[in-house]
Amino acid sequence: MRMTVSALLSGVLMFAVPPRAVAQDDPAPSAGRSALDAEVQELRRQVVDLNRDLFMLEEDLLFPASTQVAVFVSMDVGTFFQLDSVQIKVDDKEVANYLYTARELEALKRGGVHRIWLGNLKAGEHEIVAFFTGQGTHERDYKRGATLTVNKGVGAQYVELRISDRVRRLQPEFVVRVWE
Amino acid sequence: MPAAVLLTALLAADPAPAAGPAPGGLPAVKVQDLHYGDVLFHFYQAEHFNALVRLAGYREQGRLAAHARDAELLRGGLWLSLGQHREARAIFESLLADPSTPAPVRDQAWFYLGKVLYAAGQFEASERALRSVAGELPPALVPERLLLLAQGLMYRGRFDEAVAVLDGWSGAPEWTAYARFNLGVALVRAGREAPGLELLDAVGTLATQNPELIALRDKANVAIGYAQLQSGRPAAARLALDRVQLAGPQANKALLGAGWADAAEGGYRTALVPWLELHQRALQDGAVQESYLAVPYAYAELGAIGQAVGYYEQAIASYDAERARIDESIAAIRAGRLLRAALSTRDDGRRGWFAQLAELPDSPESRYLYHLMAGHEFQEGLKSYRALDDMARNLTAWSGSLDAFGSMVETRQQALATRLPAAESRLATVDIGELNARRDALRARYEAAHAQRDVTAFATDEERAWLDQLDGVDAELAARAGDPGLDEAREKARLARGVLMWRLDEAWKVRSWRAGRSMRELDAAVYDARTRQTASNRARSGAPERNAELGRRVAAVAPRVAELAARVESAKAAQERFLADIAVSELQAQRQRLDEYSVQARYAIATIYDRASAQAPTP
Repeated sequence: MRMTVSALLSGVLMFAVPPRAVAQDDPAPSAGRSALDAEVQELRRQVVDLNRDLFMLEEDLLFPASTQVAVFVSMDVGTFFQLDSVQIKVDDKEVANYLYTARELEALKRGGVHRIWLGNLKAGEHEIVAFFTGQGTHERDYKRGATLTVNKGVGAQYVELRISDRVRRLQPEFVVRVWE
Repeated sequence: MPAAVLLTALLAADPAPAAGPAPGGLPAVKVQDLHYGDVLFHFYQAEHFNALVRLAGYREQGRLAAHARDAELLRGGLWLSLGQHREARAIFESLLADPSTPAPVRDQAWFYLGKVLYAAGQFEASERALRSVAGELPPALVPERLLLLAQGLMYRGRFDEAVAVLDGWSGAPEWTAYARFNLGVALVRAGREAPGLELLDAVGTLATQNPELIALRDKANVAIGYAQLQSGRPAAARLALDRVQLAGPQANKALLGAGWADAAEGGYRTALVPWLELHQRALQDGAVQESYLAVPYAYAELGAIGQAVGYYEQAIASYDAERARIDESIAAIRAGRLLRAALSTRDDGRRGWFAQLAELPDSPESRYLYHLMAGHEFQEGLKSYRALDDMARNLTAWSGSLDAFGSMVETRQQALATRLPAAESRLATVDIGELNARRDALRARYEAAHAQRDVTAFATDEERAWLDQLDGVDAELAARAGDPGLDEAREKARLARGVLMWRLDEAWKVRSWRAGRSMRELDAAVYDARTRQTASNRARSGAPERNAELGRRVAAVAPRVAELAARVESAKAAQERFLADIAVSELQAQRQRLDEYSVQARYAIATIYDRASAQAPTP
């Protein structure tokens, strides 16, 4: 009795697919797609378009521009501060308390900006207080607050809470900025 | 499709200055639009669908002005990552058609267009696009471009040009390793064994700690091993197969091949070492199934007839049991239970759902799932099925939200109808114009008093009464100017006015400062009132129309959700049938193979008995 090496060989000689690379189509990518594939593609396109419309509708409905205020958290390098969580209070009322995962922190460090709170405020002055909790240098627990008084006008208002490194002092810095 | 790493490279060429080194050696992005940053926040977490929806929404709302070109490039990349080649292609082509697109963005657009064309099997057009990159691409894209070029040439049978492209690469081996492997395989298939094996050998001897490359190295060594075995070079085959790790996904094939390499040189005893190791492994694997025949074959060749027969009998029993399990699985698949198992795994960010398939509990519906995934068609079909399932969940969630949106609009309509008239009549009593005029008059008086240092302007009510009283006295005294009896009274009145004026003068500084402060407060209050009135006017004016418009949008979108949900369900059912057909046909082929193995085992036993009876002394 003899095994059929050639039969095995055809199974072994298959093209490899880089896990994160281009040559996803194995065997050779081809122009022909089944009707089912085409239907999946068409559905996905329509689902994305629908989600876009619903995303905008939800915002227009729940957070109209005249009262909309959004608070964003961003991070610049973050060597001196390992962020755990951020708490936001608006006019002494807690509106957000967010605990960050390692994956989210990674996204922040790469330049992602987290919209931590989207809400409604009436025109006039409001006090926004943010508390950052995490670890500072030498793994010491670290909690810092930053306060901002915003004068809510008629348009949507965006507030950025930026965590950056103050290299000269080897300390983190928490900057609050209102975007027009 | 390429995932985060490749797409991330899109951002590397962001014209904005980098904020500093980011984890993984990727440059950080300096965000100039918070909303673009929000898209990136989701994109970096590999939430491509979510990132694309936000990007499309913010783009429509005009919130990405500072990153318009990069956002377009990212949008194309996100479509590409979802496998939507047509949409991606349209975006890249539109960027290229726009003469104002900056050169770095243009180069990346050429690159991604080449990639889309490659994925569509249009290798010639893909090559043209890839060769149109004029400047420098971000470092992460450079080797990928070469890989696409080489593989495109390979699929067009232009092997030598493909080899030349790969030889031109001097960077890290990660990228070209895949291309070298594929090219090696293509050359061996095309009968050009020597250059093919040379390429495979370069991958098979790669020194690396990267688990993905180790897996590829194993694959290359198995490919070399079997190609050498087929060409009658067992020693060279064994050399390559010995380089395969014992615990990896290629281990079973390597063990089987190693045994055959030994057996080909007559080393049946040494062949038993890998084959017996293989014999203890799970029977779903094709190589393990073959080892059930290979082990008794080696024993028979060694003359150990008793052991050979024992192992053949064990093989027959095991094949029977495995066939029964396959039948059970086929029944479970026909009953529609296959995909429930596949959907029970979720991509948790650390390990993909595919890796988790290997760890599913042993059940008729899930037993062969991992092995079925080795087939490209099934794998792609399962991906589509999962995508459809995600779409169905998404639409169900929105359907619930839309009900709430509808109620919200209705409640607002009612609230507007009842409260708006009262609010309007209240607001009608406030005249901001008149308030402004009064404030302006007051400011004029304040400024005049300040300029003329009119100390009486800031007199208290009491002081004002005294001043009035003194004015009255002075008037009376003036009327009787010739009366000498009133001289003392005149002196007293003068003295009293002097004291009062001295006091007013003394208090001037403080009072003037306080008055200034009050004026500023008044300005702020008037401004605040004006702002509130504007906001209130804006909110009121057209509020019912706006609400009605929102109601129309909710009403218009609801049937779209319902219609899409129905189509997704129907596509899911079709996809499920398609996958079940592939799975059943694959399992039936496996069952047939086991039938054949079983026949071979029975035949081998019969042959052994025949030989034994022929050799037995005649009584």
